[in-house]
Amino acid sequence: MALFRNKRVISSKIKEEKSIPVMGLVLSEPSNCAAGRSTMILGYLAVTAVSGYVYYLTWKKVRQDQIEMRSARLALQPLLTAERDREFLNQLRRNRDEEAKLMANVPGWEVGTWYGEPVYKTLPPDTLVTPYIYEFYAHASDSEFKRRTTLVLWS
Amino acid sequence: MVITADVYLPPEEELTVQEVNLSGPALRAGAFHYGKYCEFQNNEFMLCRSELNDPRKCISEGKAVTSCALDFFRKVKKTCFKEFTQYANCLDKSSTKLEFEHCRKTQAVYDKCVLDNLGIERPQFGYFCEVKVHDTKRPKPEPKKPDVYPDYTPYLPDDYPRPPAKYGSRFHWME
Repeated sequence: MALFRNKRVISSKIKEEKSIPVMGLVLSEPSNCAAGRSTMILGYLAVTAVSGYVYYLTWKKVRQDQIEMRSARLALQPLLTAERDREFLNQLRRNRDEEAKLMANVPGWEVGTWYGEPVYKTLPPDTLVTPYIYEFYAHASDSEFKRRTTLVLWS
Repeated sequence: MVITADVYLPPEEELTVQEVNLSGPALRAGAFHYGKYCEFQNNEFMLCRSELNDPRKCISEGKAVTSCALDFFRKVKKTCFKEFTQYANCLDKSSTKLEFEHCRKTQAVYDKCVLDNLGIERPQFGYFCEVKVHDTKRPKPEPKKPDVYPDYTPYLPDDYPRPPAKYGSRFHWME
């Protein structure tokens, strides 16, 4: 078996020939991998510079488009917020009425409290605290809750 | 659950107004001109909402916003209906996100029509991203003052000796 050889032996033989075929493998002179390192670095910088310039040409346009989209959304925001607020207050009243109807026969229960104990103790009585999503959908079906909380993309 | 009987919720009659019955593409098509036409009502409502932080207190401003929107879209329907629907249709069918960049030609036609008939010029693309200053008759709400408790520790008298720090400061530039 002649696979493992003395290094010195191999190098003296390689001085004459570039490659020695040994059992199907070709042992060649170890090459200098970092020979063209300055070329590589300069090439990398050049390609980066050119592509950065090309990127900048469309960056401005993309940014303007984003700002335009944001402007349109902000222009419509008051209309949609007002509509949402009205419906939100309506739904809060419906929830409160539903809770009163549901807990009418339970002794000691007051609507909006835990058996008479208020949830928020340090706030003034007429504060509107936005209930969290589970409370808001407490009297609704599971499918309605999932429809609101799960975003499903069709495309 | 946290809405007790003490919390005032407006009755249904107060909250029922005629709503704008338009879908997303139509609203997006008319967004810029609508924003310019109804700028005062919109700014009033958003200022009320951000200052008072309570939807119940801004219902009348919200109704003003909706009625202004209805007014604008009715005017557009009377004068520029075909151009508006063409533009909204283009926005709807060109991209999934209703982007403006694919519909510049129809936008130009619509802009020209609105400028001729209603006299509203389309504001520049970043107009509604800017910070606006809004004058309103409603007084500014007072900020909440910090609580003062009767048993607070008394402060040092003014003539108490205040020597400099014994070993200097932690940062050399604050000495």
